Amino acid sequence: MPNFKTSFVARLVLSTAIIGTLMTAPVASFASPGHGMENINIGAPGKAADVTRTIKITMEDNFFDMETIEVRADETVKFQIENKGEFVHEFNLGTAAMHANHQKEMMMMMEHGALDADKIHMDKMKMDMGNGMTMEHDDPNSVLLEPGKTAEIIWTFPADTELEFACNVPGHYESGMMGKVRLQS
Amino acid sequence: MKYQTVKSTLLGALAVLALSSASQAAKYDLSVDYVTIDTGEMKTRGIGYNGSSPGPTLRFREGEEAVINVTNNLDEATSIHWHGLILPYQMDGVPGISFPGIEPGETFTYRIPVSQSGTYWFHSHSGFQEPDGAYGSIIIEPQKREPFKFDREYVVVLKDKHPHSGERILRNLKMMPDYYNRKQRTLGDFFEDVSKNGLGATLSERGDWGSMRMMPTDIEDVQGFVGLINGMSPDQNWTGLFKPDERVRLRFINASAMTYFDVRIPGLEMTVVQADGNNVQPVKVDEFRISVAETYDVIVQPKEDKAYPILAESMGRSGFALATLAPRQGMRAEMPELRTEAPLLTMADMGMSHGDMAGMDHGAMTSVDPSGDDKDAMAGMDHSNMAGMDHSNMDMGEKADPFYAAGSGLIPKAANGGKFLSYADLKAQKPLYAERPATREIELRLTGNMERYSWSINGVKYEDAEPIRLKYGERVRFKFVNETMMTHPMHLHGMWSILDTGKGKWNPVKHTISINPGTTVYSETEVDEPGEWAFHCHLSYHMATGMFRKVIVEGGPTVAELENGK
Repeated sequence: MPNFKTSFVARLVLSTAIIGTLMTAPVASFASPGHGMENINIGAPGKAADVTRTIKITMEDNFFDMETIEVRADETVKFQIENKGEFVHEFNLGTAAMHANHQKEMMMMMEHGALDADKIHMDKMKMDMGNGMTMEHDDPNSVLLEPGKTAEIIWTFPADTELEFACNVPGHYESGMMGKVRLQS
Repeated sequence: MKYQTVKSTLLGALAVLALSSASQAAKYDLSVDYVTIDTGEMKTRGIGYNGSSPGPTLRFREGEEAVINVTNNLDEATSIHWHGLILPYQMDGVPGISFPGIEPGETFTYRIPVSQSGTYWFHSHSGFQEPDGAYGSIIIEPQKREPFKFDREYVVVLKDKHPHSGERILRNLKMMPDYYNRKQRTLGDFFEDVSKNGLGATLSERGDWGSMRMMPTDIEDVQGFVGLINGMSPDQNWTGLFKPDERVRLRFINASAMTYFDVRIPGLEMTVVQADGNNVQPVKVDEFRISVAETYDVIVQPKEDKAYPILAESMGRSGFALATLAPRQGMRAEMPELRTEAPLLTMADMGMSHGDMAGMDHGAMTSVDPSGDDKDAMAGMDHSNMAGMDHSNMDMGEKADPFYAAGSGLIPKAANGGKFLSYADLKAQKPLYAERPATREIELRLTGNMERYSWSINGVKYEDAEPIRLKYGERVRFKFVNETMMTHPMHLHGMWSILDTGKGKWNPVKHTISINPGTTVYSETEVDEPGEWAFHCHLSYHMATGMFRKVIVEGGPTVAELENGK
C-alpha cells in the first residue's frame, strides 16, 4: 500500500509538471503577457523532430562567442548552450524591448539575493516579490546558467520579427553581451 | 627558381622575426617642454610633453616592454611617474625615492615590462609641474579579449587648469589658507542663521567651526580654475564623434591637481566597466564622482542622431568641465542646468576628532560598513544641538552611500535622481589575488592644520617621518582614519590597494582610494614588489605640505623563498 501511495504522488507530480510545461510554454513564447508586452511573434518552442540545424553557443565573461545568429524564416534550430565563464550568464531570445524589460527583473533578482555574480539561488527564485510575480526563470525562450553548466533550447523562429539574443544579467547586455538574430527568408 | 623560393621564404621568416621583436618592445620619445596653455579665456605658460599639454596618449600592449626616452628641455629637473603601473621601483619616477630625477638637458630611459592592461596616466612627480600641465594618458591593450564590447573609444582627461602657477598657489595658501575660497560665509549668512536658529545656536556652531580652523565651505581649497577635458575648456568644446547605436568606451582620467568631479552625460546611462585600470563587474549609473588621480571606464550607447553633453561639475560646484559627444563636428548640446548651490560640510564631516563639539557622541565617527545596514553611527548624535546645519543631505534612506559619514554634506546625488556610483558598487571582474587574512594592520590617520595649511599622516609631516617598513610577501591592512574635513585620494605607488567594500573576493583593486571626511576606510595590499615607494595624498598641495610617506619593502622574492625553506 505505501508503495502505491508513493507512486501515485510521484505520478501526480509528474503529470502536473507536464501540464505546467504545456500550459506555460505557448503563453511565454508569445512574449509573455506577464511582462506587459504586445503580442509580438517571437516564435515558439520547437519539436526535436523538426530540428534542421544545431547551433553551439558558448558564453564567456561577458560575451557570446558569436556576434550574430543567422537562421532561415520559420526554421527550427537546436541551440546547445554552454557557460564557459566564471559568472552566471543567460541566453535569451527576444525583441530588444523584451530584453529591456527582463533586465529590470534580473536587477530585482540581484537586489533580492536570488542571483549572485556566480551563483543562482533557486530557493529565493520562488519568492513572491510582492506583486504576485516570482523570479522563477522558466520561460522557454531563455536559459540562465551557472558557470560550467550546459543547456539546450529547441526554437522555431517566426518569419520576420527583429530578434536579439542576449544575456540580461545586470550590466551584461549594456556592455555588449548581445547580438542580432538575422532571419533570412 | 628553387633558390628564389627558398630565398623569399627566408626573407619572409626574417620579416616575421623583425615584426615580432618590434612588438615586444615599444619605443617612445617624450620631450618635456615649456608650452603655452590656451583655454580661450587665458593663455598661461605651463609644462607639457612633445610640445603640448596634455601630453600624448601612450599605447602599450600587455606583455611587451615599453621603452620610453624622456628628454628634459626645461631649466629645472623633472621626472615622470607612470600612475598605476606595476614596475621595477627604479622606473617609478619619484625623485628622491626611485631615482635622482632628470636634470635639464638629460635624457632618461624608462624600461617598463608591461604586465597589466587598462586605462592609466602619467605625470611629473617634481615640484608643481603636474598642476602646471605635465600630464598625459596611457592605454594598455590586453592580451585576452576584454569582458565588454565597444565600437570606438576616447580618452577623457579632466583637469582643473588654474591661472596661477602651482608654486604661487601654495605660497598664497600658506599665507592665507582660504585665499582661494570664494564661498566664504558672510555677515549676511550670520544674520540669516541667527533669525533661523537663534543667536545661541548660531554662535555655538560658529565657535565649533572656528576652533577647527575650518569653514563649512571648505570643500575645495583651490577655486577659480577652468575645467578642461582633453586640454579644452567648455568654450573650446572637445568633441568625440559617434554613429548612432555604436557603443562608445570613454576612458575618464582625473588628472586634476585638487578637484573632484561629478560626471554625467544627460540623456545617456553609463555602464562602468573599469576602475583604476582593473575591470569591474559592469554597473549601470547615471552619474559618478571621480577623485583626483582615479580612472573610470564607461560604455555608453547613444542611439539618437544628436549631440550629448559630457558634464563634469566640481564636487564643491565652483567650476566645471564640458565636452560633447556628437554624430558630426561642430555640434553642441543644450547646456545642462548646472547645480550652482555649493554643498556645505556638516558636523558629520567633522568626525569625532574634535572633542569640543557639544551634543555629539564621539561614537558618531563613521567607520565604513559596506553592508549599509548599520545606522548606529547616527544614534549617538543629538540633532537638537545641530541647529544651523544643512540638513538637506541628511538622507538616511536605505541607499545612503556607506563611504560617506552619515549626514555628510558631501553625499552625492544624481542630477536626474537616478543612480550615483558608490565604491560599494565596485566588484572585481576577475580578482587579482586570492583572499587571505591580512598579516597585520597599519593605522594611518589623515591629519592636518588648516590654519597653517600643513597636511600630515598621524600628525607628522613627510620630512619628520620615519618610512613605513613592509615585508615582502606579507599582506598588510591599512586603516585610513580621516580626521580632517577634506577628502583625500590616497595613492600607494608600485603595489595594488584592495579596497575593502565588504565583498570578499570581489573587493575591487585600485591604485587610488578616496577617503571622505569623518570616515574610516580599509584597504589591503599584497606586498609583492621589492624596493622603495611613495605613498601620499594625490591633492598636489596636500602632498607638497607633508601628507606623504616613503614605503620601504624589505626583502624580495629570493629572501622570501629562503625564509620559506625553498
